Amino acid sequence: MADPLIFDMGKYEARLPTELRYCRNHMWCRPEADGVSRFGFSTYALRLMQDVYFLDWCVSEGASVAYKQQIGNIETSKAVSDLFSPIAGTITSVNSEALKDPSIINVSAYENGWLFTMTGETLGTMTASEYVEYLNTNWEQTQRILKGQMHE
Amino acid sequence: MSRQRLTVVLSQAPGKHPAKRSLEESVAAALILEPGLDVSIVPNLYDLGPDHTGRLYLQGVTGDLLVFSWHFPRAAFWLLDRMGVPGKMGESLIKPASDEDDTETEPPEGIGSGAAIPDRHIYCIDLREKHNAEPYLAEVRRIAAECRDRRDEAQRSRPAAAAPLVQLGFGLTPKVPELPAFTPEQLLAPPNRRWYPVIDYSRCTNCLECLDFCLFGVYGVDRLDRILVESQDNCKKGCPACSRVCPEQAIMFPEYKTPAIAGAPVGEISGLKIDLSRLFGGEEKDAVSQAIAERDRELVADGRQAVGTAVGLAKRQPASPAAAKDDLDKLMDDLDALGL
Repeated sequence: MADPLIFDMGKYEARLPTELRYCRNHMWCRPEADGVSRFGFSTYALRLMQDVYFLDWCVSEGASVAYKQQIGNIETSKAVSDLFSPIAGTITSVNSEALKDPSIINVSAYENGWLFTMTGETLGTMTASEYVEYLNTNWEQTQRILKGQMHE
Repeated sequence: MSRQRLTVVLSQAPGKHPAKRSLEESVAAALILEPGLDVSIVPNLYDLGPDHTGRLYLQGVTGDLLVFSWHFPRAAFWLLDRMGVPGKMGESLIKPASDEDDTETEPPEGIGSGAAIPDRHIYCIDLREKHNAEPYLAEVRRIAAECRDRRDEAQRSRPAAAAPLVQLGFGLTPKVPELPAFTPEQLLAPPNRRWYPVIDYSRCTNCLECLDFCLFGVYGVDRLDRILVESQDNCKKGCPACSRVCPEQAIMFPEYKTPAIAGAPVGEISGLKIDLSRLFGGEEKDAVSQAIAERDRELVADGRQAVGTAVGLAKRQPASPAAAKDDLDKLMDDLDALGL
């Protein structure tokens, strides 16, 4: 397996395995059998949020969702956020372990800390190197958004 | 001195939040050692259904009450009111930080709670305010003393004519009501998560915009035509749309992520945490278009048609140019002019 790519976030290095695909909403995507893909947070997203305290989905397994439809929300030590569907499709399962004890998301971002699986077209997702490029392009603006909010 | 004790109830955070759990435990431990208090722990107040033991217990408390929860005090107070636990709002010194510039100058005049308000005070404290037990303990002592003084004062000012009756043994001192006895296990039975709006009747002017806007039948009116949350289980999980259209910010979703909707003091921006929704794919919209988008999403999820701005927003549309007055209008004007 190739070495993961690294995105430099100040002192923190976000590790991005090359065998995964990535979404614009900072989730990773692992295509599996039968057109189902598994999704979770990239370590980039987790670095921004830090320790996940509370995770909740407002859609159930079996729900069909639109791209960017709100599907849940999250509270972490540093942030709150709505969560949006990375692609259009049908949610096939959610990780109940992560709902019970969300710290698993921080402990194992790319394995046991997965969030949900869904069917749907993943063509719009990026490779690790495309994702790094995407992060580079947006890094300054991201920092502005973060700092802007802190000063509000 | 009155024998009545202050009841302190601690409402747990939903989910497993290590920092919150540990604060709850240390506050509870400190309170249990404190004399003169009745201390109980219940699951998240917001989730307590009508039959939950924790709710029955709260309804059984007739004296002064202090509730610790992970909600803004305004949200917790009106949540209790809705649950059939009304009282006068007690003011805690531990409250959301207030910024002079942001404080609202003229709050709306609300219609007030629909319930008969018993002569007792309810204090609500947000456990997000302090990170260790000591300040809370000090505040509990202060509130307990305040309640005691208030009761003593009330007793002293009772009409003197009543005194002989006391001597005859009829006892005018209110009998200390027994608190309902429930085991901690009963009180802590885990409830299911719930989602519904809570109305702050100190702000609600009964304009009924929420009734017009919500197309899921959550709202209704009582016999006096006062707005109420009638069918809370019709409410769509995660949807705070009605709160956004309320012109008086009287509708709260105590567990919504943004403080303004969760019941923060009106006019203040208490930026507790950064909101990353924009980075994670959300879009920024003004309140009304956001509310319309949220409502349309829920309508479609229910297999119904999205209605956009067509329904329930009449009062927010720009005023239409006044049509020429017809005979009926003239008649009405003439009648008004008579000043009958």
